[in-house]
Amino acid sequence: MASGTDIPQTDSLPPPITERGIVGWVYANLFNSWYNTVLTFIFAAILVLTLWFGLGWIILESDWRVIATLGGNLIIGQYNIEKACPGQDCFWRPQVSLLLVSALLGMAWAISGDRVAKRIAIGVAVVSVAFAFLPYSLERMGLDVRLLLVANLPAVAAGWALARYTPLGSVRWIVILGVLAFLVTLVLLRGLPGVPGLQPVSVIYWGGLMLNLLLAVTGIALSLPIGIALALGRRSHLPVVKLLCVVFIEVFRGVPLITLLFMSQVLVPLAFPEDFPTNSLFRAGVVITLFSSAYMAENIRGGLQALHPGQAEAARALGLPGWQTTMLISMPQAIRNVIPAIVGQFISLFKDTTLVYIIGMLDVLEFGRAFIQGNVAEYLDGTPEFLLFIALVFWVFCYTMSYVSRRVEEHLGVGQR
Amino acid sequence: MSRAPGSFLTGLAYYQGVPVWRHALIIQWALQIVSGIVVVVLVASFFANITNAIQDRNIPHGFGFLSREYQTPIGQHFLPYESSDSYLYAFGVAATNTIIVSIVGVILATALGIVVGVARISGNWLVSRTALVYVEFFRNVPLLVQLFFWFYIVLTLPPVRQGYVIVDKLYVNNAGISVPWPSPPSWDAALVWMAIALVSIIAGAVLHRILTRREELTGRPSYPLITGGATTVVAAAIGWLIISAASGNAPFGISVPAPHGTFGRIAGGFTISGGLMALLTGLVIYTSSFIAEIVRAGIQSVGRGQTEAARSLGLAPMAALRHITFPQALRVIIPPLISQCLNLTKNSSLAAAIGYADLTNVGKTMTQIAPAVSIYILLMVAYLAMSLTYSLIGNLYNRRIRLVGN
Repeated sequence: MASGTDIPQTDSLPPPITERGIVGWVYANLFNSWYNTVLTFIFAAILVLTLWFGLGWIILESDWRVIATLGGNLIIGQYNIEKACPGQDCFWRPQVSLLLVSALLGMAWAISGDRVAKRIAIGVAVVSVAFAFLPYSLERMGLDVRLLLVANLPAVAAGWALARYTPLGSVRWIVILGVLAFLVTLVLLRGLPGVPGLQPVSVIYWGGLMLNLLLAVTGIALSLPIGIALALGRRSHLPVVKLLCVVFIEVFRGVPLITLLFMSQVLVPLAFPEDFPTNSLFRAGVVITLFSSAYMAENIRGGLQALHPGQAEAARALGLPGWQTTMLISMPQAIRNVIPAIVGQFISLFKDTTLVYIIGMLDVLEFGRAFIQGNVAEYLDGTPEFLLFIALVFWVFCYTMSYVSRRVEEHLGVGQR
Repeated sequence: MSRAPGSFLTGLAYYQGVPVWRHALIIQWALQIVSGIVVVVLVASFFANITNAIQDRNIPHGFGFLSREYQTPIGQHFLPYESSDSYLYAFGVAATNTIIVSIVGVILATALGIVVGVARISGNWLVSRTALVYVEFFRNVPLLVQLFFWFYIVLTLPPVRQGYVIVDKLYVNNAGISVPWPSPPSWDAALVWMAIALVSIIAGAVLHRILTRREELTGRPSYPLITGGATTVVAAAIGWLIISAASGNAPFGISVPAPHGTFGRIAGGFTISGGLMALLTGLVIYTSSFIAEIVRAGIQSVGRGQTEAARSLGLAPMAALRHITFPQALRVIIPPLISQCLNLTKNSSLAAAIGYADLTNVGKTMTQIAPAVSIYILLMVAYLAMSLTYSLIGNLYNRRIRLVGN
């Protein structure tokens, strides 16, 4: 025992350099076998080449004039042209709608207390404010436009304070206010005949990113309830209801959206009475919503199928009637289980709003393309820059949606229960 | 037992001892009948409105136009087509165009998707990150934007006369890519040889199956893959030689593309038009980003213990992936994969935007002169048939690989 105390008590040797720190990480993740080493070098070469040529193109060759020229028109399309809005400046109307969205985002931030909601709210406000300071002359972007853009920051703050310090700060109220804000937006954009300053703007002039967002929000808000109804109908024991739902779902899932859209152009005006307002916006909204709800129904049906029958049986045993069992027990769990699929469908719907070009609507993509086609000599070479920019815009929206969905899943503890 | 006594009339209000307005069965059927009637009325008024409108506004209708000459050129076509062909035939040509894009696209997208999906879970950080960026970028950008981008790239290729020529055989220019393609001197000999080749493939496959069974039952090495493959190749080669000797020509030659005439137009070989090239590139990349996620989820759904057990039995990493993980992952992968393939087929209708003559594009062109409603019906039937075929394949496959006892 005594000899044991003779051994000097030194610290144990640190692990070799190849197993710790950055070097260890590099060994473990990049060079842990001969083929991984080869792969690393190949991919590094590809990456370097891509960056080299990509950055070279962006810095030296690319020409973003087409984006700068289009500017705010990419967001509102032809909404503010002289023909759409004679003798007035109508730009403030979409801008006020944006303020409503900012306030709602502020409320969502306060209610959820989540860092993602916070980032989105602040992000929207910061981007809007940043646009207000674009180095344009005042003729191209008036003071009123800039001020309304800057106002997004106080709008977020106001929404946050409203939800924090008044009884409006609950999920129920934000849903109600959201629906209200949507209706107000529609009225604002459409205008009211006879009201000064709110002269009607025909929907054929609605366009740009505004149109994509409007169609997407409408489609998302309506396709979820319709999809739930269809899913329940398809699982129902009542043969007539089941048959109707199956036929509806399969027909809308079997035909491409673009085909449905261009069919709607002729069929919808024929099918409705002549005095019925069947403008292209209405048609696009209806077709996109129905198309999306057919997919939504299948997603929700998948969730219902994956649910253990014991859940519904337990609810029935506790004495809940059928509809309460469905709405309080089965449906919430089913939806929670298929959140990724549902949000995937939302994303898909948003991307699909670009297809309205086929019925002659100028969404953000088609508006820019039409502009380039009209000024080929000057802007044709700017096509890749334009497409890249549009891709980036859509990417930000879609990626945010999938990010939020992952966050919601974490909150609901999917996979942990 | 609380059945209300009384007159015949109050008796009618009861069914099986329960008042009818509270009897589940009766309520259900009443609801069904009402909803059925509502839908039937809606659909009927919809069709009645359409028929009335067609008659009132003198819109042409009916299917008589199908046998008339279409008299409109179709860009790229895989079936022989001339402007004097009928509407019905032109419609078939367009359907073939869609089906070919669908089949080629599905094969390429699945292959690329599997590669990217496996790269996503690679132990190599650089590889998995690159795959992640690929997936997250391409699936979050509208397909239409991507198609326009690829089409723009194709259009910026040099014109035909200044096009790229690769070893005198491959011509790349803004009209498309021309590649050497097998072409038979006479179709009779070619068809005979194709029949022989088909028989050889079947013979090889049967042999492969028999030898595999033998190997599994007896444990004696029987080399099923080598024997089966060799049988196929040798049988097809003998058929080739016999036909060459009998007809004096090989059943298939190679047609090499070459510039032709004063405008240097490329003739011979096979030309993949610019629209088709852009469409395929866009569809394959877009769909592969979805398939990659499906493949990744499928592989990750197989328990870690499976891989570990395979590795401890001495299988190499790739062998463990191929023989243990992948077959089990397939069960999870196949259903969403089929639905992605169906999506690809439907998304090919975006070809209308870049000038490839698919079903929707040709249908859209036809509506300018032919009765629109009839064409819509044809389009719906064609697409529904395609999607039903996919579902059928999916269901058959699902039944085969389903876990026993499920």
